[in-house]
Amino acid sequence: MSTIATPLAIPITPSYKQKVARSRAISEPAWIRWLLIGFALAYLALFLFMPLAAVFTEGLRKGIHAYLAALSEPDALSSIKLTFIAAAIAVPLNLVFGVAAAWAIAKFEFRGKSVLITLIDLPFAVSPVIAGLIYVLIFGLQGWFGGWLSDHDIKIIFAVPGIVLATLFVTFPFIARELIPLMQAQGKDEEEAALVLGASGWQMFWRVTLPNIKWGLMYGVVLCNARAMGEFGAVSVVSGHIRGLTNTMPLHVEILYNEYNYAAAFAVASLLALLALVTLAVKSYIEWQSARYAAQQAVDAME
Amino acid sequence: MSIEIRNVSKNFGSFSALHNVSLDVPSGELVALLGPSGCGKTTLLRIIAGLETPDSGSIGFYGEEATTRGVRERQVGFVFQHYALFRHMTVFENVAFGLRVRPKKTRPAEEEIRRRVHELLDLVQLDWLSDRYPPQLSGGQRQRIALARALAVEPKVLLLDEPFGALDAKVRKDLRRWLRRLHDELHITSVFVTHDQEEALEVADRIVVLNQGKIEQTGTPVEVYDNPATPFVFKFLGNVNVFHSRIHEGIARIGDMSIAAPGHDDAENLSALAYVRPHDVEVQREAEGASFSARIQDIHAIGPVVRLELQHLEDPDFIEVELQRERFTALGLVRGDTVYIKPRNLRLFPN
Repeated sequence: MSTIATPLAIPITPSYKQKVARSRAISEPAWIRWLLIGFALAYLALFLFMPLAAVFTEGLRKGIHAYLAALSEPDALSSIKLTFIAAAIAVPLNLVFGVAAAWAIAKFEFRGKSVLITLIDLPFAVSPVIAGLIYVLIFGLQGWFGGWLSDHDIKIIFAVPGIVLATLFVTFPFIARELIPLMQAQGKDEEEAALVLGASGWQMFWRVTLPNIKWGLMYGVVLCNARAMGEFGAVSVVSGHIRGLTNTMPLHVEILYNEYNYAAAFAVASLLALLALVTLAVKSYIEWQSARYAAQQAVDAME
Repeated sequence: MSIEIRNVSKNFGSFSALHNVSLDVPSGELVALLGPSGCGKTTLLRIIAGLETPDSGSIGFYGEEATTRGVRERQVGFVFQHYALFRHMTVFENVAFGLRVRPKKTRPAEEEIRRRVHELLDLVQLDWLSDRYPPQLSGGQRQRIALARALAVEPKVLLLDEPFGALDAKVRKDLRRWLRRLHDELHITSVFVTHDQEEALEVADRIVVLNQGKIEQTGTPVEVYDNPATPFVFKFLGNVNVFHSRIHEGIARIGDMSIAAPGHDDAENLSALAYVRPHDVEVQREAEGASFSARIQDIHAIGPVVRLELQHLEDPDFIEVELQRERFTALGLVRGDTVYIKPRNLRLFPN
């Protein structure tokens, strides 16, 4: 501690001397500490806070009426709607898949398990643009199933299904990745206990497994949702940018921006930014809750 | 409810956990599966419960084939080594779980569940903890709740996997006495797994000693302790001194000492190992009859039994001896003394 200014002035035993020396060794002089903290804060302000503030000020530059008008314009509304539809389909599907995959990986031994784990990580490793192109290659007019699809008048690419598929792909790993380590750490003793006590597989899942992974699952859902709504690259490739039909919010922002309609672009962007802030708030709340839960358990265990 | 295990084998990959094991557990008995870690005892217990399926062989409950019956239908109570209590449920809900998950037809009314759970919590003397959560309990309390939870479904068979393994010595001792009393009250066929020979000898009606996936011996604690069938059982059930010997026409020779070897009358110059328990070694000041000399290397004089570490004068091996304190005081032994020892009781296993 820096408050102990001159330790040598006090008659001290060697152990005390060591203690002082050690505490001085791990703490920096005040000016260095303030310099480091100041630098970190300046960095945060410059690269995180300022852009966020800019989004809102730019959005509101032409007044609140223009802001609201930009948001309630039909194309903007349809992009908001499409974003929510994509997320509303992708998140529940990935929720089911994520739980199932994490369950299989954490609780069972089987051939090809490491392949499955690697596959789950694929969307993280691949650039979203490539993810979009994959779907164009498969379902596009020149793609594998393109001919058959157009014969049967089914539109996937440059239509809503394509956007949902692309969103599904990029948000695939979030929930599974969150749950696998959690479920591995918890082991399968409690599930086995439930079975021996006569529970069916379904009862075991709802009464034992799910309550145990509750917080991790919610955390995964929040992250997955944020990504589903914010995804640009993959969706951009498959969307075709048809206004009012296949534009999600991020795509709509880009179009407005390219048309030099800055106020409207920032207005819609501010909505996305707001969404991000809400996500962060929910995420912090969940972290706080689960930390409190863990701390409570630890305290109780010590009693 | 008796359990019949017939020719059960189980492999995990290339590791053979159980090899052609057959065993009968009579109705109402408390049986210990005893063995070192990796001997297959837990696997056998889990196969009885239905948590593992055997590669071959069959399990029967009361003469009825049960191998293909699922875990749920076997009506066993299982107590896990690390308790496996449901961490997000109160103690009450933990114990009530087995009743609550029953199909509507056989599920007792809420009132009845309440009564049964409190009855069981009384039985394990922990009714006052019913609103707590498992992490708030001590190890011993958790284990008793786990037992109450297993008993709530009125199992026909109670299976316990290292029930006291994770507890400290004092609690472990109390709990195993308590388990013995509980078993005497309930008379439910019980099998428990342990690697602690003292625990098995003290609690069980019958001990099954397992080693490397095979049964070495089955018998009452007195039988297996006094009459070990194999060198492994001899070594596993307590400390033992091993001497090289030769048997010739009913006489075993250890060093210069000759000892009668009944049952080996036809042996001709047969090489054998002689097993002697530390408390079966006589210590004397003077050479007398069949004995050999050794030097006292170390003395541990704590409690009523004094442990001596001796070194054979020609042999580098240590010999462990346990003496009653009175005898030790009467002999007035100190470190470095040379004494004469002779086995009072030994078992010969030809190589």
